[in-house]
Amino acid sequence: MDFNKAIKQSISNFLEGRVPKALMELKEGELIYTPEYFDALEEDLKNEPEVKKEDDIDEV
Amino acid sequence: MKFEGPIPGENYLTDTKNYPWHRPPDLVDYDEAVSYMLDKIDEPEQIELVFAMLQIEAHVATVVSTLLLQGISKGKFSIDLAMLMAGPLARYIEIKANNSGVKHKMGVEKDDRMVLTPTLLKAALGIVEQPEEESEEIKSLREEAGPNEITQEQMMGLMSMPQNTGAAPAAEQAEMLGQVEEDPEEELEEEPV
Repeated sequence: MDFNKAIKQSISNFLEGRVPKALMELKEGELIYTPEYFDALEEDLKNEPEVKKEDDIDEV
Repeated sequence: MKFEGPIPGENYLTDTKNYPWHRPPDLVDYDEAVSYMLDKIDEPEQIELVFAMLQIEAHVATVVSTLLLQGISKGKFSIDLAMLMAGPLARYIEIKANNSGVKHKMGVEKDDRMVLTPTLLKAALGIVEQPEEESEEIKSLREEAGPNEITQEQMMGLMSMPQNTGAAPAAEQAEMLGQVEEDPEEELEEEPV
């Protein structure tokens, strides 16, 4: 298996929500960058209110 | 004779620490390494490059592979750790692209997979369907129509081969080929002066 195929396989596994068990065991605390973390990040970015441009802000 | 080749055993004496990836990597922790790469992607120049690559229809997997190879070549992390980081980076780029409205393809979809259909499943399981029996109405209609025979003439088209394919008589063939000698006297008799 070449590098690019391995990368694709890794991405595919992560997108399906699979994280290597050995990595979880190796890490003493909990992993930060898990599939759940990115799902939450995506939701936060979706719900984030759009920042108004300076021109749009009415001068008082 | 090859005089410029390496001396046997030279590899044992060469300093292998000339390249960054020959030395221990800077980052060995998964979260630290992913955090480093996410910060790197967030840099304005880097995110512009990532979006530009996606806009020329490069897959996210290709972009991730390029970024990771850069990190490996700089000795930031090992190849093994890069493999583990590929998923989070791809997901982060996907989120960033979605948020910015940049069209992208992940590059991990299995486009060439066979679509499973009921017919395919039946064929795979060896299930052979029995043809349904004709209803009485269809049977009576078929009988009324009579035998469905096509005559030889109906089958014949304009360009079809003629039925009588026997060879023409020898005299006719000779005439067609212009091999018949004409009698010059006959012509003279026919045309009186």
